[in-house]
Amino acid sequence: MTRAPERSRPAPPTPSPAQAVGRPLDRVDGPAKTAGLARYTADHHVPDLAHAALVHATVARGRITGLDTADAEAVGGVLAVLTHHNAPRMTPPAPVSALDLSTLAPGTTVDYLNTDRVHWNGQPVAVVVADSPDTARQAARLVRVTYEVEPAVTDFAAAQDDAVPLRGTLLVLGEERTGDAERALATAPVVVDHRYTTPAQSHHAMEPHATVAVWNGDRLTVHEGSQDVDWARRHLARRFGVPLAGVRVLSPHVGGGFGGKAPVWAGTVLTVLAARATGRAVRMVLSREDVIRTVGGRTPTVQRVALGAQRDGTLTALLHTGVSQVGRVGGTPEPVGSQSRHLYAAPHIWIRHSTTTLDVLPTAHMRAPGEAVGTFALESAVDELAVALGMDPVELRMRNEPDRDPLDGKRFSRRDLRAAYARGAERFGWAERTPSPRSMRDGHWLVGRGVATAFHLPVRLPADVTVRLRADGTVLVRCAFHEIGVGAATAQTQVAADALGVPVEAVTVEHGDTELPVGPQAGGSGQTASVATALLEACEELKRSVLALARRSPSSPLRGRRLSELRAGRGGLYRADAPDRGETYGVILTRAGRAEIEVRTAAGTRLGRTLQQARAAAGWFRDRRRWVRAVTGAHFCEVRVDEHTGEVRVSRWLGVFDVGRVVNPKTATSQLRGGIVMGIGAALSEETLVDPRTGRTVNPGLAEYHVPVQADLPRIEVDYLDEPDPTTPLGLLGVGEVGITGVAAAVANAVHHATGVRVRDLPVTLDRLL
Amino acid sequence: MEFLQPATWEEALEARAASRDAVPIAGGTDVMVGINFGRLRPALLLDLTRVPELQQWGTDDGAVRLGAGVPYARVITELGDRLPGLAMAARTIGSPQIRNRGTVGGNLATASPAGDAHPALLAAGAEVEVASVRGTRRIPVADFYRGVKRSALADDELVAAVRIPPRTGPQQYSKIGTRNAMVIAVAAFGLALHPDRRAVGTGIGSAAPTPRRAPAAEEFLAGELDGLWESRAELPPATAARFGELVAGAAAPIDDVRGTARYRVHALSVMARRTLTWAWADYRKGDPACA
Amino acid sequence: MRLTCTVNGDRHEVDDVWEGESLLYVLRERMGLPGSKNACEQGECGSCTVYLDGVPVCACLVAAGQAQGREVGTVEGLAGPGELHPVQEAFLEAGAVQCGFCTPGLLVATDDLVRRSRAEGRRPADAEIREALAGNLCRCTGYEKILDAVRLAADRMAGEAR
Repeated sequence: MTRAPERSRPAPPTPSPAQAVGRPLDRVDGPAKTAGLARYTADHHVPDLAHAALVHATVARGRITGLDTADAEAVGGVLAVLTHHNAPRMTPPAPVSALDLSTLAPGTTVDYLNTDRVHWNGQPVAVVVADSPDTARQAARLVRVTYEVEPAVTDFAAAQDDAVPLRGTLLVLGEERTGDAERALATAPVVVDHRYTTPAQSHHAMEPHATVAVWNGDRLTVHEGSQDVDWARRHLARRFGVPLAGVRVLSPHVGGGFGGKAPVWAGTVLTVLAARATGRAVRMVLSREDVIRTVGGRTPTVQRVALGAQRDGTLTALLHTGVSQVGRVGGTPEPVGSQSRHLYAAPHIWIRHSTTTLDVLPTAHMRAPGEAVGTFALESAVDELAVALGMDPVELRMRNEPDRDPLDGKRFSRRDLRAAYARGAERFGWAERTPSPRSMRDGHWLVGRGVATAFHLPVRLPADVTVRLRADGTVLVRCAFHEIGVGAATAQTQVAADALGVPVEAVTVEHGDTELPVGPQAGGSGQTASVATALLEACEELKRSVLALARRSPSSPLRGRRLSELRAGRGGLYRADAPDRGETYGVILTRAGRAEIEVRTAAGTRLGRTLQQARAAAGWFRDRRRWVRAVTGAHFCEVRVDEHTGEVRVSRWLGVFDVGRVVNPKTATSQLRGGIVMGIGAALSEETLVDPRTGRTVNPGLAEYHVPVQADLPRIEVDYLDEPDPTTPLGLLGVGEVGITGVAAAVANAVHHATGVRVRDLPVTLDRLL
Repeated sequence: MEFLQPATWEEALEARAASRDAVPIAGGTDVMVGINFGRLRPALLLDLTRVPELQQWGTDDGAVRLGAGVPYARVITELGDRLPGLAMAARTIGSPQIRNRGTVGGNLATASPAGDAHPALLAAGAEVEVASVRGTRRIPVADFYRGVKRSALADDELVAAVRIPPRTGPQQYSKIGTRNAMVIAVAAFGLALHPDRRAVGTGIGSAAPTPRRAPAAEEFLAGELDGLWESRAELPPATAARFGELVAGAAAPIDDVRGTARYRVHALSVMARRTLTWAWADYRKGDPACA
Repeated sequence: MRLTCTVNGDRHEVDDVWEGESLLYVLRERMGLPGSKNACEQGECGSCTVYLDGVPVCACLVAAGQAQGREVGTVEGLAGPGELHPVQEAFLEAGAVQCGFCTPGLLVATDDLVRRSRAEGRRPADAEIREALAGNLCRCTGYEKILDAVRLAADRMAGEAR
């Protein structure tokens, strides 16, 4: 069923039982995490530690006219109250440049405590440093601030009219079209054309943002839960005007991220500033309210999806436009039409993204930016079209499944959504569904079933890796990638073990530290494949070096052999044609008098890194011109809706995904399932509520922002095709984000099937169903 | 901040009288949130968890006298047979960790309109026993709530216990929220049938500035049940529907982030009708101990 | 004030405890036991779940003084040094751990559930597990493998009891 592109590399062989990749190995960080011994940022104690707390602005826009810090300073144990009057000066953030992606690091452009300007309701305007966190927090409440208030735009609903279409750049999706969608729509026999909205949402990773900063002269050590330690290091070096080499950021364990810990936010910068100002080591652990006031979340969106079709369901026109929000001082728009460029074979397509700028906390990427909310609109609209046509929604999707990319005819590197839907429909018992709304019930529960397609485009980023092989047969892999929960270190352990033919127990992986070779961001579902690509290269290089050592010895059975004639296995290199002829790494290294041998991809030098980045970027653009590399999936959902109260309970779920090769089923299925559950939250309860008059978030905690709990959920079934992508090393694509895409639409479609009520505004709350 | 840990009830009352701005703490589910967030800085924290009398329940004068410090978890495991409505309400509160600490006394002292115990206490016809160095008084629970998070408790008084008549008939409790657990009620309703005195008790939560009864609904249903108590005949659906309407009519909700006023009124009518249907079915079956 | 209590079987005595401090703060900052996590400070997430006199509670909602003379049990005390408790092993093997931040609280809540049901000579039903762990939020796993882990732990601990 899989269409491989022409001239593709041969598909990697299916893993044999001896291989580590593909096996559900236990996490390498599991013992420490279950024993309670894994140390997160807030767990770090350093000598002479002081604690900091934030004071937040209470107006959306204006100028600070007065700061009364006397009461705060009078609290016993307070070391300093930092404001724009007395805080050390910093260098402003660098302007964004596509040539240096680390310029994207700052969550906002605000020069915290170096300015009297207020740009959003919640912006930090002072920092209290004290000898205990509680003292700092208590004193922070005593800082009195007066403002000259200026008019502010804080109502997204009202600001949509001022939205400006985005121009596409290397970093931003703009407008894309093929044919004339509006005209095709006007003449289509069947049309659905609706407006959908999604609210602001927050990542709410379980670990609140925290920073520990220690200065030693111009050298800075920072503990920080981060999805991009390199960004953090570069940004801090610039802001504080110190040499990059002297800044170290450590992030071995991160308590979840979902995009919220990729940028550098106010808390990080201000902790470092507080340490600079007081000469003390400073720790700041944000309260959940602090997080919501200073760490951007997902933008609200308004979207229009219009579909035109023939009566047999053949799509003739697909139009998807959307407005997302950014802050006046930064923020990232969501390309809600991303999936609509690739999912359906419509001859006329028009995609447009617009943004509106508000005086609010800048938005930030959250799991599957664009597709997570874009699929809600598109996949709801497709369901509405199925209803209008009187057609099964799976059949409608399969009728319009494209062979090539509908926008520009590029090939898909792999795409087997048909197989995902076929397997899902079979397992879920889709055929038993009766098509009419309100046709299935169980007592006062109305039962509904819905489907929706999942879609995501994983990114690929450069990575630097060193691999060290020791004479005792152990292997050390070093790369500053990030363990935010996905099982990254475990996956690379498996990749290295297979590449070198050693047991997984022999491999140690170091990560989350800027002293290590630079790794990719944990973002865009690209980290595992990006690191694996570099790691495989390094292992090849390492094996070549080992073979060179072996070939110097007259007694080596590998003498005169080329690497292509050998297989790595049993802790060494062996002849492919005579598997008993070969020797272990230990034998080779010991004979050569070497305790260890190490290789490094690219180079530690700036030039080496620039070349490597350029090579990776060129490869990425070449790939992007050649084919669409996407992961897809089919969600099947059953809901029960209380006929009289409108309570919605998800009662069954199955997601079948086409995500390329899976390195570790144990960790990968949890990634997919976690995405589904986050999507169920978005569908039914998650909403960051912003007072449109003041721009203030009114539910900055877990008591009022309802993420799903165990008791809300049925068994979430996850399945995947496990077919390698023929265009990537090991056939890997990326699994971190696709799970959440399509979920809210599957729920809303099932709710419609149950009740006959179409909800186009998330979340689907009780009162909307009565 | 001072931390006082009285070992006896007398000491507790004296401490309360001596320091009117002391903040009593038991399970900590409200007080500690305020302190953790820096919103609450009491001069004195009065820990009531070492007062033995508060940790006990017993029967007194025909009522269950539930010490103010008995956690919800014990209400569920120890009093499900006598106080089924309250036990059902307790099961919907927070999480197991919260139910292990939170108390009915704390729920009363906080007097939040969304407090989960209130509808059950109202339906059962409970009395709040409050005490100070001046003496002890009993307040019918319906008179205890005085406004949003305001109660009849004087500033030198502590909640000693709540006195709840044990069930003489079926009791039910229903709560609607956005999640299955860990959720503040969008609306809640408690119902108690009192066949012994041919009466009906109701309690409404999260749908008015205070928890409140629905007197017209109680009166209407008691009238309709006249004769049915003995015959245990089927209840006409129209009666249940009318009861629901009257309960809904007693509410005075607002729109807030958890739900609209309109939805709350509607939900109350559904919950009232449903709980009555369940309770009456139990009564007809001879009212097995249900909880 | 001075606080004396038993934590994981060891007597701890700490001075200069601020009266408004939570037990969680005392454990993490004064006793060197940062295993219990601080994620919401309002009893909404369960990441700080510890035993207090054998009963699971949110340590963030216990005033330090309320723990005076009591017995506290944390994730660090579930197993002996260098060992893993059957519940910890089950979480590891079932894949119930991801970012790990909710894990310590979940382990204590699970240990309590499994122990209680074992004392009654049975394994917890799925609905019971979902209810018992409803106060422990996890944003990563989607919860399914946590259920697997509880079932696995219940099976193993039932085996031990025989």
